[in-house]
Amino acid sequence: MVPVFNYRVGALLGKEFGQILRDRRLALVLILPPTLQLLLLGFALSATVTNIHLGAVDDSRTEESRELVATLSESKSFRLVRYYASIDQLSGAIGRGEVDAGVVIPYDYDKDLQRGRITTVQFLLNAINANTAAISQGYAEGVIETYNAGLRAGGLHASFEPIGAQDDSHQGQATLHPAYLYNPGLKDSWFIVTGVLGMLLILNSCLVASAAMVKEREAGTMEQLLMSPAANSEIIIAKVAPLFVLLFMTAILGSAVMKLAFGVPFHGKLPLVLSAAALCILSGISIGTVNSTFAKSAGQAQLMAFFINPPLASTSGALSPVEAMPKWLQSFTVVNPIHHFAVIARGSMLKGSGFADLWPNFLGLLAITLVLGSVSVWRFRKQLS
Amino acid sequence: MRRIFAQSRKELTQIVRDWRTLALALALPIALLLLVSSALSLTVTDLPIIVQDLDDSPASRDFIDAFRASITFHVVAWPVSRQPQQALVSNQARAVLIIPDHFGRDMARGLDAPVQLLIDASDANTAKLIAGYSGQIARAFHKKAGSSQADPVQAEIRFWYNPGRSSKKFLAPGIFVLALSMFPCLLASLAMAKEGEQKTILQVYVSSISAHEFLLGKVLAFMVVAVAEFLLMLIPMFTYFGLGIAGDPTPFIVATVLYAFCVASFGIMVGAAIPNQAAAIQAVSFGGFLLVFLLSGLMFPIANIPAGIRWISFFVWGRYYIDIVRDAMLQGGGWPATWYKVAMVGLIGGVFYAIAWWTMRRMQLET
Repeated sequence: MVPVFNYRVGALLGKEFGQILRDRRLALVLILPPTLQLLLLGFALSATVTNIHLGAVDDSRTEESRELVATLSESKSFRLVRYYASIDQLSGAIGRGEVDAGVVIPYDYDKDLQRGRITTVQFLLNAINANTAAISQGYAEGVIETYNAGLRAGGLHASFEPIGAQDDSHQGQATLHPAYLYNPGLKDSWFIVTGVLGMLLILNSCLVASAAMVKEREAGTMEQLLMSPAANSEIIIAKVAPLFVLLFMTAILGSAVMKLAFGVPFHGKLPLVLSAAALCILSGISIGTVNSTFAKSAGQAQLMAFFINPPLASTSGALSPVEAMPKWLQSFTVVNPIHHFAVIARGSMLKGSGFADLWPNFLGLLAITLVLGSVSVWRFRKQLS
Repeated sequence: MRRIFAQSRKELTQIVRDWRTLALALALPIALLLLVSSALSLTVTDLPIIVQDLDDSPASRDFIDAFRASITFHVVAWPVSRQPQQALVSNQARAVLIIPDHFGRDMARGLDAPVQLLIDASDANTAKLIAGYSGQIARAFHKKAGSSQADPVQAEIRFWYNPGRSSKKFLAPGIFVLALSMFPCLLASLAMAKEGEQKTILQVYVSSISAHEFLLGKVLAFMVVAVAEFLLMLIPMFTYFGLGIAGDPTPFIVATVLYAFCVASFGIMVGAAIPNQAAAIQAVSFGGFLLVFLLSGLMFPIANIPAGIRWISFFVWGRYYIDIVRDAMLQGGGWPATWYKVAMVGLIGGVFYAIAWWTMRRMQLET
């Protein structure tokens, strides 16, 4: 099969483009929803943890304990909702979802500090959401660390003189200075949209391609195409090309949305991302074509797409980090085109990685596209003959 | 009443006759539950980090060993001659720990020894977790090293309802609800759209059956499908995910029946409004999948959604049921915590049913 662009392909291309342009709604349906979905997903999916609703049980009721609660609620991470009289009331409030976290200060808090004894403050976290709980824990420990530093430096009302402190045995501490590279504002949307663009390209090209293929068959015009002097490969090229052009416009529009609505920096080269997007579209079209050869009607084709796409999307690492998946699932990402696109888009746009760093993913994406493409051509021919 | 049952018996016979679709509709929710709830986790483990130890003293090696011992990180070898950022750019590591010269000497002298931690923040959530975990490792290191500067205030953190902080236990109820929101309503909308497509709906119009009897019969049949899926999915929930019923099960049972009614009515409503199978599937994939997936707090807290679109989640039926399932299986708050959510599920289901009925009536008048 040598794809020759001769007059037959030209004529078929003219027919396909004409059909799509006449059906203006289709062009609109192709381009608009992915863009809207990108906006919606980018804005709605955020794991940020701020304003954790905090309830406090203050058995000490002293200036020292109020100072601790104030330190907690001064940070943007916690927001004091109210005080509770007892732990029972506080646990009831956590159960009803009024507060997400509670802090319990013991009655001898100030006395312990004055006498130089170590005191323990209890934090109760609603850990149903494991991720929020892990991040809240980090926040709580960070605030307490700052508070302890303040106690030592004497900047607070409360003061602490440890018993038997001998300065000669004093040992220094290693202080960690984390620096957040590539996304200093820690914007969740940057992670989401770079992955989701690939996901939307695959899902939509799959849907559109299977709809287009089934339509020709449902209308019974496939036989007419077969009877024309055009070869099978020419029919396929002419069918795929206009879809590809329209979907590629979606990819460009999506990149513009990323830049304008989410402020994603484009550190790397845009052609790198766009060529990955092109490969994604081709593999999506191939999935859709294979899918359509098994389906008898448009409804069936869509039903099957419904069953393929959610697992493909959710195991790709587009929405959640691959490192958080079980090991056996992680190995499956190698054959997932969305995963490779996400790595390429994140690497190029956020980190400025070049082809030298990303070639394994390009190779993977190319291999997937070639395999899916040949399977779809084989299925399509088998169906024709 | 008899006509309603006759109608749903006819519907169930049709469903059973198309056994391939039925098998898919019963097996896929379980597959989805097992696959997606482990895939969408955010709690990372075994992250690759690289260490550049410019000090190479016993103290610095002890400090690195503390990182090596944690299950969150595994240390990847990296030559000192190469730029550490290169490891982040080429995705070989998620963070770089740089221990400066004189680290051990400064510690011994009682000075604070700064250590640089470069974190790849292209995934902001993972970056925050890395910062939190490495802080914990450093604190544990000091405690073990017997630093005399013990912290005066110690934080003792208790994790309630999910002490192991298993994200599977958080995600499984969400995916459980997502599967229940997708498949019964997909089948219902297909069956209803088919009646419209094949014009068999006209036979219903001329028969003596009333719109209510017809719709209730259909809704009842797909409620049976939903409850069957529900019962099947409870098996992995109780075994593989290790969840159980915490506290009073009655709100959960009532809410499940109402939710089955809600999703079946949604499917019937879509099928009645859009008499075209392909278009009906599109509508269900938007309502049953996208809305429930995005705006119900399945993965991320609803409070994080910008206020401009957050109000939509007030109408998303899955949101209330997810809360009810999480409460029943983890928190055990019972009726006081969930009565309002149970009522909302019923109310939204009623609205769907009313719209389906109204569409039927209007179509009947037009034909």
